[in-house]
Amino acid sequence: MQQTEYKIKLPSFEGPFDLLFHLIKKAEVDIWSISIAEITDQYLSYLQSMRELNLDIASEFLVMAATLLRLKSKLLLPRPVSGENREEDEELFEINTAEELFQRLEEYRIFREMARYLQEREVEQQKIYLRSTGGQKVMVFTRQETVYTIWEGANQLSDIMHRFAEATMTDAYVPAFSAVEDFVVAEKSDYIQSVLLRHRRPLPMKEFINAGGLWEVIITFIALLEMARLRRVVLLQENTFGTIFVTLDPDSLQEEEASGEGRTEKND
Amino acid sequence: MEKEEQKKTIEALLFLSEEPVKADKIAAVLSIASEEVAALVRELQDEFSLARRGLQIFEAAGGYQMGTRPELAPYLEKAFSEDVSSNLSTAALEALAIIAYKQPVTRIEIESIRGVRSEHVLENLLKRKLIRVSGRKEGPGRPLLYNTTPDFLKYFGLMDLAELPPLEIEKQVEKQAEN
Repeated sequence: MQQTEYKIKLPSFEGPFDLLFHLIKKAEVDIWSISIAEITDQYLSYLQSMRELNLDIASEFLVMAATLLRLKSKLLLPRPVSGENREEDEELFEINTAEELFQRLEEYRIFREMARYLQEREVEQQKIYLRSTGGQKVMVFTRQETVYTIWEGANQLSDIMHRFAEATMTDAYVPAFSAVEDFVVAEKSDYIQSVLLRHRRPLPMKEFINAGGLWEVIITFIALLEMARLRRVVLLQENTFGTIFVTLDPDSLQEEEASGEGRTEKND
Repeated sequence: MEKEEQKKTIEALLFLSEEPVKADKIAAVLSIASEEVAALVRELQDEFSLARRGLQIFEAAGGYQMGTRPELAPYLEKAFSEDVSSNLSTAALEALAIIAYKQPVTRIEIESIRGVRSEHVLENLLKRKLIRVSGRKEGPGRPLLYNTTPDFLKYFGLMDLAELPPLEIEKQVEKQAEN
């Protein structure tokens, strides 16, 4: 005899409540008027067919089977409630009367409906595509409608910082400041360069500005921007809000070395 | 700023934002009262639909957001299909529905309603940032409590939790009491 292979597709259920619900719907009865005996039989025969098909039956389904059988037996052989010994693994459901089962089924039904409502919304919402920049910052163009290169940016910033310093120092410090400003910034620049030459590797910008008061910070900052503008140093930042590193411009470094050697020769 | 300018600004703001923009923020940008924002947005929405634009403005997660019109989905899918996230499973939707209505809620409470263990489902929902751990319940074991997130609202295009349809559970309880 030829063996015919055929596939049976059983609907998959989220859990025992889902299965019970399916059976109730098939019987076309209201949750509150289910016959425990009938639903138990149907439930068990479903599990039986799952077994025949060698399907894995999740433990929850078996616990529910036990619960149903207990409810059914209670209906057949009414016993006083007090002497009851509950099995441990039935705690998942804690269903002791048919009433409780109906209530739980009803509760599950309501949330299942809400889940279906959410699914409808999900489908609707997925038809709407939203703007996504993949986490990149949105670039807003300024009045000039140009994107600054890093050099232009350094120029601009340096300018802004100069003006800021000017504005903040108008009253008390103006005379002193305007007289020494260039000198102070130049001094600072030389200092930064000497530190960089000594270390010969990129240093975090913080290294230069963590000491001194606000004024010191401003001067250092202006010096760094000036140096970046003049391409004496390069400012590096690997990612947004990441550490800013200062390093000597490779070109100027070579020049510096050349002139340095020249000087030594002269000194000799 | 003139009204037309204000509307233009709102349009630009929403265009640039990936997240819903709250009325308060729009109001702050335009230096107007928050209450005025809704009317301006509504006008803008009308203009968009009147002009039959491909974009629309809608309310989501307590703010306003700009997105494409749903009827364009079949075309946009062709261009952006790889970006579309997979749909939620029935199990995930069930768990979400329970959390949405009962929050803060423990895993055991969710499992008791579903009649199925739900650890895995909750893990996935946490990963997708649709729910979050909001604390621990006082009592034995101090189990974790779960709440929905603003991303949950965004995902389902809800303005707030109040927009969810009311649960019928009260009715059922009354029915029980009558019996």
